[in-house]
Amino acid sequence: MNTLALDRFVKIPPPPFKQLLNGDKPAELIPERSADLPGMMALPVRELIPHMPKPIWSQNAEFGETDPEVIRQATRKKLENIDWSKIKEGRRVHLIANPHGFSLMGEGYVAMLEEIQAYVTEHRKADVRVKIAESMGPLANPDWIKTFRLQERLGDIVNISQIGPGKKIDTVLGDQYVCKKLFTAPYFIHTHVTEPRETYFHRMVDRLLKPFGMSYVRLETRSAYHFGFGPRTGQMIAKAVFESAFIQQRYVASVVLNTVSEGVASVDADNDLYALDKRMTKEILWNYGPLMRLLGAIDEVIPILDGHGCFVYNFGGGISFSNLLYADTDFLDLDNLALSATSGKFGRDGLTMGNTEALKAVVINYMAGGVPIVPYLNDMQSVHIATEIEARLLENDPSLSYIRDCSIVHNGLSEAVAAAQDMTGCENLFAFDYTPGVFRVNAPMAKILLDAAPAAVETVRTTLMPKWLRQRNIH
Amino acid sequence: MPKRVTMVAEIIGDKCTGCRLCEQVCATVAITMRPRADDEIGPGKNIAVMHDEHCYNIQSCLEICPDEAIIMRELEEPFEVQVDTSSVDQDKLKQMCRQAKFGVSTVVCPCTGTTAGELAAAVLHGASTPDELSRMTGVRTGCSELCLQPMFDILAADGHTEMQRNPKTGFQWYGRAGDLYDQVQPDGSFTEEIEDMFSIYKPKRELTELVEAVRARRTKKDIA
Repeated sequence: MNTLALDRFVKIPPPPFKQLLNGDKPAELIPERSADLPGMMALPVRELIPHMPKPIWSQNAEFGETDPEVIRQATRKKLENIDWSKIKEGRRVHLIANPHGFSLMGEGYVAMLEEIQAYVTEHRKADVRVKIAESMGPLANPDWIKTFRLQERLGDIVNISQIGPGKKIDTVLGDQYVCKKLFTAPYFIHTHVTEPRETYFHRMVDRLLKPFGMSYVRLETRSAYHFGFGPRTGQMIAKAVFESAFIQQRYVASVVLNTVSEGVASVDADNDLYALDKRMTKEILWNYGPLMRLLGAIDEVIPILDGHGCFVYNFGGGISFSNLLYADTDFLDLDNLALSATSGKFGRDGLTMGNTEALKAVVINYMAGGVPIVPYLNDMQSVHIATEIEARLLENDPSLSYIRDCSIVHNGLSEAVAAAQDMTGCENLFAFDYTPGVFRVNAPMAKILLDAAPAAVETVRTTLMPKWLRQRNIH
Repeated sequence: MPKRVTMVAEIIGDKCTGCRLCEQVCATVAITMRPRADDEIGPGKNIAVMHDEHCYNIQSCLEICPDEAIIMRELEEPFEVQVDTSSVDQDKLKQMCRQAKFGVSTVVCPCTGTTAGELAAAVLHGASTPDELSRMTGVRTGCSELCLQPMFDILAADGHTEMQRNPKTGFQWYGRAGDLYDQVQPDGSFTEEIEDMFSIYKPKRELTELVEAVRARRTKKDIA
């Protein structure tokens, strides 16, 4: 692929901003998007990793079927193979959802939940209630409930907050604290989407178990996950909670959307979460691993954050910004301690990891708060916030009150990007605006990715993939 | 580093049902309840009272309120919260951090920049519960997720392990969660049960390499 051929690529627009329940109307406040910048293009991820499976469903018609009926059918087919006999007739079942599912796969995830609820209600005459567990970020779930009309579609749906009442449970790693209201029913069904966000935490070991150490548990256990384990052992806590008698008494089955950059590749389900995890791990390593290593081949780049997530949780082309932020480290390699204290000039004590030195500046057009990021931003050459409105929104966030101290505030995105490029001499732009299936980049960045992709894929295929699988006892 | 407070919460009296959730969740115990006066319109017999001086813009109350009875108000003049670390016994402070397995300058709360040394100083100034630590240092007034474990560990280093929540029915915190380091045997090994159950995680290798990494970092610092 040469640069001239880039002109042929489609200009897929980003999904529009949503109005939030807290009153924010980003679509009105943030008029300019990264896709509007001169020279920005939508580089199809499939051009970079041609082996990516064709999705059965996508949020964008460019990439596949958009009718959620295909998700319903695929879900039902898998549910027929599950042993539901543990559920006694007429009893209550909690179907546990996750905000990442709504954020990443939207109607596809809702369709999967609807189908599970209908199937289990029909076949076990059970009272299936949907509970949304919480990930980091304080105000997301009420927004998803409203956006997808979940009260009408799924009945009495409830957001279960990590700050809400907890319950102490006994595990092989001592006391842990789960979110009490997630587990008040005699049974629960676990759901997930496989996009490998937060690889630096779970390291793709028991990946599908991660919510048992994070979104299904209280602050005490979440804090222990972050501070009480090493860089490759945080998931021990997830496994310990999942293996506890409390959870095993209630656990019935797991259902997942197996995702790729463009959408949903398949639906899978199993009573045996470990068997399901092994199947999904293979898929994730091959469908996302080459993209992660490709980002590691970038020498210099200016990312633009232009979506609803907070910092690392902004997505572009189906992957999170964290994959670029930490791209110099192969977190999938379990021989790699990948401890920030030992790495590069950005190494520091404690929780935070080192950013890749390839990031020359960061431009924030729009993002939500909720995650502490100032320690990362302090390590950047320059941080540019596109508008005063966004700067004010961020500095009022409980986690970000110092953001203005390390940022330059501009009169619009174009000005912010130009300033970042002038100050750093870096012309490569890479925006995270939640468009699936494409990387939103400018021409120089696209050329670098296209040139480096074949080698990244080949290295993963011949060297890294066998190693990653061997390290996880997957054959 | 101080916590900078740019907003405080405000109770909307005629929407507040007095359900107490905001009181039970506030990490700085900035909310109490009082009986609703006869001439005050609104549901419920009680009404929440916000104590502005202790509201550090955590927004947990905003999140948990089921009745949209709380709003955030921007302050014209933000204020900062920080403990004085210089007026405490520095040897004791270092000893407490060491016992809790943190460096004095290790940032344990990335939202506020609070260090382990600041937590230890707060304990030496009299803090004996997580909420008192939060009030004195501003720790855990951002995302509120990450820093509970270090707070429990620093408190334990001064003997505070049996603590009373405020209010008693509150769920700002429960107790310390178990971690990897609890499982280390006196000879540095792990039990067979742990090794078997977590064989793919190689906990012994993890611990050894972590210790080596910390030693290497300290040596590097000493040389510098």
